[in-house]
Amino acid sequence: MLDVTARAIEGLLFAADRPLSIEEICDLTGSGADTVTQAIGRIRASLEDEGHAMILQEAAGTWRMVSDPAIGATVAQLYEERRPGRLSRAAVETLAVIAYNQPCTRAAIEAIRGVNCDSAVKSLLERSLIRICGRQETPGRPLTYSTTEGFLNYFGLDDIDHLPRRREIEELIGSEGAADGADLFSS
Amino acid sequence: MSSEACRISLEQFEGPLDLLLYLIRRDELDIREVRVAEVAGQYLAYIRAAVELDLDVASEYLVMAATLASIKSRALLPSRNLAPEEDPERTLMRQLVLYRAFREVAAELRESEEVWRNAFPAPGERERWASDAPPRAEPGSVSLLDLLRALDELSTPSEGPVQRYRRPELTISECVGMISARLRHGRGISLGDLLGPGSDRRLLVAFFVTILELSRQGLVRFTQRAPFGELLLEREEAWSESSRTLLTPLTFSPVGEG
Repeated sequence: MLDVTARAIEGLLFAADRPLSIEEICDLTGSGADTVTQAIGRIRASLEDEGHAMILQEAAGTWRMVSDPAIGATVAQLYEERRPGRLSRAAVETLAVIAYNQPCTRAAIEAIRGVNCDSAVKSLLERSLIRICGRQETPGRPLTYSTTEGFLNYFGLDDIDHLPRRREIEELIGSEGAADGADLFSS
Repeated sequence: MSSEACRISLEQFEGPLDLLLYLIRRDELDIREVRVAEVAGQYLAYIRAAVELDLDVASEYLVMAATLASIKSRALLPSRNLAPEEDPERTLMRQLVLYRAFREVAAELRESEEVWRNAFPAPGERERWASDAPPRAEPGSVSLLDLLRALDELSTPSEGPVQRYRRPELTISECVGMISARLRHGRGISLGDLLGPGSDRRLLVAFFVTILELSRQGLVRFTQRAPFGELLLEREEAWSESSRTLLTPLTFSPVGEG
């Protein structure tokens, strides 16, 4: 049996129409951040111990209650028509390049992937996985792109620092940037 | 050209770098040591086969083919000492290593996608997917793209200024009254005379529909003095003052409110 605080938070996470941040939960329950974090831990453990189909997902510093991906195939049937399909390989590659290099221009993406990425960028924008974050102050003032919170949610990432193999990629980009920066990342 | 290469189409590759990585892996070469000249031959054969098969070869593949051909020919020349950043072979190999890293990360992300797209949030959130849910505009959710799109829609020329006004209703019965007042027995009348000068399009349409209706009921007929001559409207034998009452139940209004 969960305590009062944990039950309140569980109810919030169930009924919320968006992932909730710790600060929001603090405001709504009048509890401190530590209390909320510990309560979330108890809810997680309780759901897990009793083998519930609901789990708590942390992404982008926020929490939400979702059904366990393990029963996803069954639940997905409810949304067969409306649910967007999986991303194409081109779209995920483009997304990966943007995620590690943001903000990043289209030219920089194309320099790494070696192919035109107009349609991949378009579909990522439409699915709100990336957004236009500004323009680069270089000739032509190209638009720059960055990933959204939706991106983190979509892939179940806590934050940008939790991207897979982040350090390794950064080192590669670093050596690349030192030798070839003008072409790849500043263009 | 090996038969294997022929069986594989370019479509499964995400561009020339992807194809090069495939060739390197297929020949079990080490990406850190491979000489571009070794794979260049394979790549060029591949592209040539695709061109011969009349496949649509994207320009990126051809650009890479040219780059590889240039690297290959340079390898045959006595070596010039190039600064590392000027050496096209080193540049290409670095690009390959970096692209390979992103390709691998993308594969990992796709695995996460497969897991988390199968996690369904609580009911409130699912409403976002409802087909009739209006798009939400929360602070920060409107992007530059949305603004550009809205601007684009604004700059599309509309069909001119819109002015709203009410039009008086004109019923078929009223038109029958107007027509019968002008339609004398045994005398044809041209449509132009029937309408009178200065009649607007609204009246024209109303009269036209009315005449069609009268004609359908066998109350009027059209005559023509000569082929291609003016059409004259005449009363049929069945016409009588009762025809007005015949038509009364018709409440069809040819012009609605604007």
